[in-house]
Amino acid sequence: MQLEVRLFANLRDYLPKDSKGQVKVELPEGSTAADLIKHLNIPRDLPLIIMVNGRREPENHVLQDGDRVGIFPPVGGG
Amino acid sequence: MQLSDRQIRRYSRQIILPEIGGKGQKKLLASKVLVVGAGGLGSPVTYYLAAAGVGTLGIIDHDTVDLSNLHRQILHGTPDVGRPKVESAKETLEKLNPDVKIITYQERLSKENVVDLISQYDLVVDAVDNFTARYLLNDACVLVNKPLVEAGVLRWDGMIMTVVPGKGPCYRCVFPTPPAPESAPTCQEAGIIGVTAGVMGVLQATEAVKFLLNTGENLVGRMLIFHALESRFQEVEITRQESCPVCGSEPTITQLEEYTGYCTP
Repeated sequence: MQLEVRLFANLRDYLPKDSKGQVKVELPEGSTAADLIKHLNIPRDLPLIIMVNGRREPENHVLQDGDRVGIFPPVGGG
Repeated sequence: MQLSDRQIRRYSRQIILPEIGGKGQKKLLASKVLVVGAGGLGSPVTYYLAAAGVGTLGIIDHDTVDLSNLHRQILHGTPDVGRPKVESAKETLEKLNPDVKIITYQERLSKENVVDLISQYDLVVDAVDNFTARYLLNDACVLVNKPLVEAGVLRWDGMIMTVVPGKGPCYRCVFPTPPAPESAPTCQEAGIIGVTAGVMGVLQATEAVKFLLNTGENLVGRMLIFHALESRFQEVEITRQESCPVCGSEPTITQLEEYTGYCTP
């Protein structure tokens, strides 16, 4: 299945340079948000907000073909 | 307390709003807000709160003004480089509105001073630049039941939520533990566009004014995320977590701890 993935703040470093924060990702059917995070090499020690089609979902949420996934890390600057 | 003619003129454009009126203006003038940090978020927050006539503003910041602060920390100017931020902030804000009493604390927020400080104010605004102070402030506000307007920024993005202990989720309900230092860069390391700090700081001031006036709806149970690169806002529903280490049903944090190992610029 194909997913449309957007990463925010410093997570953009985990995407190719020319991706403008957005990338299409191919994952096997039945993959979860956690599988996607692993696939993107995002560190596991970071608490994350995962949005699927505009709704917040937990890491064990099973993704569907065509899902739009946004991942947001805590931002601590001021 | 009666409003003077000058005060009626100064605040006339907001006094005519039905949600404010003379009564609301007096309420603002009698309010006390503590802003933690006089940097990228603290600048717009204190600017707008002072302009709106919030009567007492406490500002705590241990740092001095650096040239690299000036693209976003609009309280300070080029001649202020090297001066304590609280001193420069006080001068700017008193010039803007002499009605406002500015109380400054040139010190670092710590587990020793935080409870005493926040207890003296009606509302706290988190405008800090690191996770150490962010978690300390959240925990302290939950423990002493003090409302907190929380925001953070990095690069082009920002987030904001209002914590009303007992009424909605706290910062730890969303992010239970601080991220590992190597996964959580500071603005110094990762960069920040000035306008994102501006947008988020102005939203914090908006939350504070509404809370003090008890009008409108606050960001309780909602987190608002701003993406400046796409000019997009995203609203995320957040809920109080039974398992929250500080505001859950069986809290593991019942007194303040210092979070060490995280970069404190």
